[in-house]
Amino acid sequence: METTASLRHALLTDRHRTLTGLYQRTFPMVRRHVQQHGGSAQDAKDVFQDALVIFYEKAVGETLVLSASVSTYLVGVSRNLWRRELARRRQQPLTGLTEEHAERLPELESAETSAALSVLDYVEQLGERCKSVLLAFYYFQQPLEQIARTHDYRSVRSATVQKFKCLERLRAAVRTLFAHDFAR
Amino acid sequence: MRPALKRLQLIERHLLGHPTATEAAAWQVQLFTDPELATDTEAQHLLYQGLQLAGRKQLRQELDLIHAQLAGTARRQRWLQAALHAVRRVLPQALRR
Repeated sequence: METTASLRHALLTDRHRTLTGLYQRTFPMVRRHVQQHGGSAQDAKDVFQDALVIFYEKAVGETLVLSASVSTYLVGVSRNLWRRELARRRQQPLTGLTEEHAERLPELESAETSAALSVLDYVEQLGERCKSVLLAFYYFQQPLEQIARTHDYRSVRSATVQKFKCLERLRAAVRTLFAHDFAR
Repeated sequence: MRPALKRLQLIERHLLGHPTATEAAAWQVQLFTDPELATDTEAQHLLYQGLQLAGRKQLRQELDLIHAQLAGTARRQRWLQAALHAVRRVLPQALRR
């Protein structure tokens, strides 16, 4: 069984390969379950990808607790997400979730969500390089050594400075949007 | 680093780092002496939330790509198996001629 530390390392060093392996091993089990319980292949894809996002964030954030293999974890989370979705569609109260895999993506408060969504638009408008550096550090949680290497910065210090320059650009762009909130 | 970047770094350490008790106490003093610090901190917190959403969006796009690649591979394998099956059915008849 993979340890959470080895999974984290694999995700940080080769995300595409690691996720492809997990996808290949686990998605057929999730698809079978969802299709046997009233869902479509598209439903299966949606819940499985939600489960993978939860898994990724917990693994790199070092809050993942595995009591079985990662595939078992992903199937468990997907099953619960699908049960939740079915209850939502049928407008029924939710019962019988297994505690262990009752994971959800942390959601923002609705007021925060609309503001964060506006920031998201500005992230998309940053240049490709700035966006890549910021997401690599703040979301994908790659170490600055790796970011410096993959983005051709001469040193970790250069990468650090560049990261803050990009954050400054994002803040300046967002400031025009929320001028009344952030007025200085 | 420029002072403006150092300020971003200071706020980041407060929001994302693990400040010591001494640093936390110093932060309280700074909040008192720097009236703009609270607003700047709130703004930076919002940036991190936006980046979280942007990251999830990118991860979803990467997962869609993986899904499409695996589906394409599976389709090719099914096609190849069907082609081999058809060849096996035809081959003995051809050899008999």
